[in-house]
Amino acid sequence: MMAKTVSKRTYQQMSDELDRLIEWFESDKVSLDEAVDKYEQAMKLLKDMEDFLRTAENKVKKIAVQFGDE
Amino acid sequence: MDGLILSPSDFVGLLNQTLEIAYPLVEIEGELSNFRVSKNRWVYFDLQDELASVKFFGTVYMLPGPLEDGMMVRAVGAPRLHPRFGFSVNVQSITPAGQGSIKKAADLLAAKLEAEGLFDPSRKRPLPAVPRTIGLVTASNSAAYADFIKILGERWGGVEIHLADVYVQGAQAPAQIVRAIERFNELSSLVDVLVITRGGGSADDLAAFSDERVVRAVAASRIPTLVAVGHEVDTSLTELAADLRASTPTNAAQLAVPNRSEVIAGLRVARKSIRELTLLQFENNLRQTQSNREYLTSQVNLLFKDKLNLIDSQSKLIAVFDPRSALKRGYAIISRAGKNISSVKGLKTGDILDVRLSDGKIGAKVQ
Repeated sequence: MMAKTVSKRTYQQMSDELDRLIEWFESDKVSLDEAVDKYEQAMKLLKDMEDFLRTAENKVKKIAVQFGDE
Repeated sequence: MDGLILSPSDFVGLLNQTLEIAYPLVEIEGELSNFRVSKNRWVYFDLQDELASVKFFGTVYMLPGPLEDGMMVRAVGAPRLHPRFGFSVNVQSITPAGQGSIKKAADLLAAKLEAEGLFDPSRKRPLPAVPRTIGLVTASNSAAYADFIKILGERWGGVEIHLADVYVQGAQAPAQIVRAIERFNELSSLVDVLVITRGGGSADDLAAFSDERVVRAVAASRIPTLVAVGHEVDTSLTELAADLRASTPTNAAQLAVPNRSEVIAGLRVARKSIRELTLLQFENNLRQTQSNREYLTSQVNLLFKDKLNLIDSQSKLIAVFDPRSALKRGYAIISRAGKNISSVKGLKTGDILDVRLSDGKIGAKVQ
């Protein structure tokens, strides 16, 4: 069973969003009100990502392939 | 069968029935000779040893790659008596046999596929950094499968692995591997990456991965491919055609997904740097506010100073016009009946005048 993750987003989506947030923080057009919001977003995202990394498991599904020569 | 007289057709039919029951399939290994391809479709050859030669017939679709007379090959097929052309074995599969022939066949095929550009580095596509789904083509009972799944689980989570369980060696292997690759490419929702792998083995065991059909299927895959066959030293043609080659099944798992602990360490760095950046923004804002306040204060002070200067200079100017300052210098203001006199005209002897000096008033009479 795949462990339940906090977020429905894929890891890649979360990682992309984090990159965007870091880019925003590094830019020079940062407003303080926004910074508070974005900081909270980033901390939540980091927690979700770490939760995913610690809890998600791989699962194997066998697919049916018809082999003509069998 | 004594006394039973058969027509040639009956005899052929009877013999084929007997062959079908007695030898449904035969596997024959021998030296390839008289190998020829007709109309790009039909393949004819003989397999021989010192004493005998057997005729074979098949199609190009079952060829593992280019073959040459003199190579040792192993052919699997059904022996048949053709009504007109006589005896032959209808080939189902043919594979080079023995180190020398396998190498020779691989060299011939490598040269052909290289010339076609199948191994060209410009064809290589990047693999997704974090795959959500992996199509895995291998034997489910193999060490390769176990290694791949184990290392993948140690490194990363949340991946759906779709396994196509195939033979990775033997006559059926190439067709099964090809079919599995095709199947993954037919699915409406494609997996993110296709991993094709098997562990080490003899050159014979690994032969399926240098089979032309398998190499072409890998090269034609719409899904990016990661191929790991055998040990570090083995390089199959399939690996050369893959988007990425891994040295072993374990290495394939390492290349397929990031390492969880490294990523967690990276997230910690990101958390720290976001905190620092946010703090920096606060400090910058504070500094900006302070400098704004200082600027405003200084501007207001400047304004006050300007106004004070102006008032000062105006008051000096006004002082010049003050008549009292003229009286102090010895001038006097003369008036008659409350009206200031600035001329002698209109004055008569005996007029009484008021004379105002800096410190008081006196009366005077015109003479």
